[in-house]
Amino acid sequence: MGAYHCQVIQQIQIDEHIYRLVLQAHEIAQTAYPGQFVHLRIADQLNPLLRRPFSIHRVLRDKGQIELLYRVIGRGTSLMKQTKPGDSYHLMGPLGKGFVFDGKFTTAIVVAGGMGVAPVFFLIDELLALGKSVIFFWGARCGSELFGVLQWNQSAIEIHLATEDGSQGYHGMVTDPLQTFLNHRSEDASLAGFVCGPRAMLKKIQLLSTRTSFEWQVSLEETMACGVGVCQGCAVMLKNEGFRMVCSDGPVFDLKNVAFDG
Amino acid sequence: MVDLSVKIGNLHLKNPVLMASGTFGYGTEYRDYFDVSLLGGIITKTVTGKMREGNPMPRIVETPCGMLNSIGLANVGVDRFCQEKMPELDHLDTVVIVNVAGSTIEEYSEVVEKMQGYDRVDGFEINISCPNVKKGGLEFGTDPEITETVVSGVRKATDKTILVKLTPNVTDIVTIARASVNGGADGLSLINTVLGMGVDIETRKPHLARIVGGLSGPAIKPIALAKVYQVVKAISIPVIGIGGIMKWEDAVAFFIVGATAIQVGTLNFIEPDGAVKIIQGIERYCEKNGMRSIGELTGSLQKG
Ligand SMILES: Cc1cc2nc3c(=O)[nH]c(=O)nc-3n(C[C@H](O)[C@H](O)[C@H](O)COP(=O)(O)OP(=O)(O)OC[C@H]3O[C@@H](n4cnc5c(N)ncnc54)[C@H](O)[C@@H]3O)c2cc1C
Ligand SMILES: Cc1cc2nc3c(=O)[nH]c(=O)nc-3n(C[C@H](O)[C@H](O)[C@H](O)COP(=O)(O)O)c2cc1C
Ligand code: FES
Repeated sequence: MGAYHCQVIQQIQIDEHIYRLVLQAHEIAQTAYPGQFVHLRIADQLNPLLRRPFSIHRVLRDKGQIELLYRVIGRGTSLMKQTKPGDSYHLMGPLGKGFVFDGKFTTAIVVAGGMGVAPVFFLIDELLALGKSVIFFWGARCGSELFGVLQWNQSAIEIHLATEDGSQGYHGMVTDPLQTFLNHRSEDASLAGFVCGPRAMLKKIQLLSTRTSFEWQVSLEETMACGVGVCQGCAVMLKNEGFRMVCSDGPVFDLKNVAFDG
Repeated sequence: MVDLSVKIGNLHLKNPVLMASGTFGYGTEYRDYFDVSLLGGIITKTVTGKMREGNPMPRIVETPCGMLNSIGLANVGVDRFCQEKMPELDHLDTVVIVNVAGSTIEEYSEVVEKMQGYDRVDGFEINISCPNVKKGGLEFGTDPEITETVVSGVRKATDKTILVKLTPNVTDIVTIARASVNGGADGLSLINTVLGMGVDIETRKPHLARIVGGLSGPAIKPIALAKVYQVVKAISIPVIGIGGIMKWEDAVAFFIVGATAIQVGTLNFIEPDGAVKIIQGIERYCEKNGMRSIGELTGSLQKG
């Protein structure tokens, strides 16, 4: 990890509120692994003051580039969407402890909801490179937020899409098709779960996961100040261990062990 | 060459820039980002008698030009601090000051006693100013009698340098400053965070789980400058200025007003090596203005 000025290569608008930002970030691209994040300084000014954390969406190792995927929700991201090629951002990273792949599983269940998909592309790239097969459940508000699913070798990945407005895939929450799937496979030792998304979805999947015999990893979000374990601002309560820091002990944790209600 | 070194109590700082408590961990977390030995010193996260889990979430929220926190002095407690953190501090080639708090008057001196024997600890900063705990924080630092009792208790427990960290959330900070001097303080650090609050108008809930918290960052700099000015005029021991220092220009303002040293807090979260740039900026400023030592800058405020 370190801190670097990173040039913007390009920024691509994906739908009304979602952007993909490609940055030249050699050092980060060489060492990052899925689930890690960068801490980005929006501008050299006092307001907005704090850095903003973004998952590493993709890594292009040979080019020394990383991609971020973000939704415009507030002041910081509104400024970011004006980014032009040639601009630069100051990044700290890669930060945090990402996903681990040391289990015996051969098939990964990957579940993404909303912007939780950001780290998941990198995750799927890595899983496929490791020779695992992937069953990908992806839920969003509407079809325009579901993009890029055809890029992977379709023989190794099975994709289940869901939208809240029914414009693409299953009409409703992505946890419904997930539940149907798990009804038949809850004891399957060849599986492992990987989850990232909004809190309500995570809680639901935690409930489902407790009925399975295999392991689930979850990537969490909390408001952050330092991003490196110093300020103690981003705490998450774990069932047996008390508070841990999302930025430095995570953002990836054992899903079954997270105490979502404190 | 400008002589940036300063002396506070028995502390010899190679330069007058320190890292503020709670914003630099235990000195090792930022090792990968810059050379910590360039700093005048670091002040650890507050250490208490027993481990503290800290407050419920959310604990932080950004505000215009600042941030609110209610961390609640989360720390491993003095015994684990000595076992686990102290050995790592050994590798730091700079002054280490341990920030100490307690929920009873006795706890302060007990914690200090346990650390008195460690050579690595160069001094203590007594935190009687945290707005985020029920007992011991603000409650002590707003009462001159308790302040004096706490400080004199610590004075008996150690011959190392004692700084007392003051809160701005009082009617008259000079009274508390005097009480600290009477208790035996070698220097005063001010200010700790300013009591603040934020509300989400959609949900009508407070932004922080503990409702109120401490405001830090550039938003509080004018408050901090005024407090340092008031205290420096009234007492004769060294004052360390803290609050919203983001650039060397901010730091220089604190020296002009009368600070002997400064601490950098929230800036660490934004620019880990920001303090190093501040040290360089102070040196350049002194050089440009023909000063041979930082002492010439301290208290050089001109009539308005
Ligand atoms: C480890 C981590 C990885 C993240 N990865 C991504 C990513 O890849 N893509 C992406 O779009 N977003 C990601 N986020 C969330 C992202 O950091 C926030 O959306 C961003 O900081 C908002 O900044 P802003 O200035 O636009 O909004 P602000 O003006 O700061 O806030 C606007 C609204 O957003 C809410 N908000 C602020 N921070 C967060 C947060 N961390 N999580 C949820 N809500 C928040 C605020 O409460 C407020 O209601 C991640 C967060 C974390 C902690
Ligand atoms: C997240 C956070 C945690 C803090 N924790 C402590 C602490 O444990 N003990 C303490 O004395 N001050 C603590 N402080 C106060 C700072 O040391 C400093 O006094 C204050 O932030 C003002 O300086 P700044 O504006 O440069 O940040 C904390 C501040 C922040 C922002
Ligand atoms: S953001 Fe500071 S500890 Fe996690």
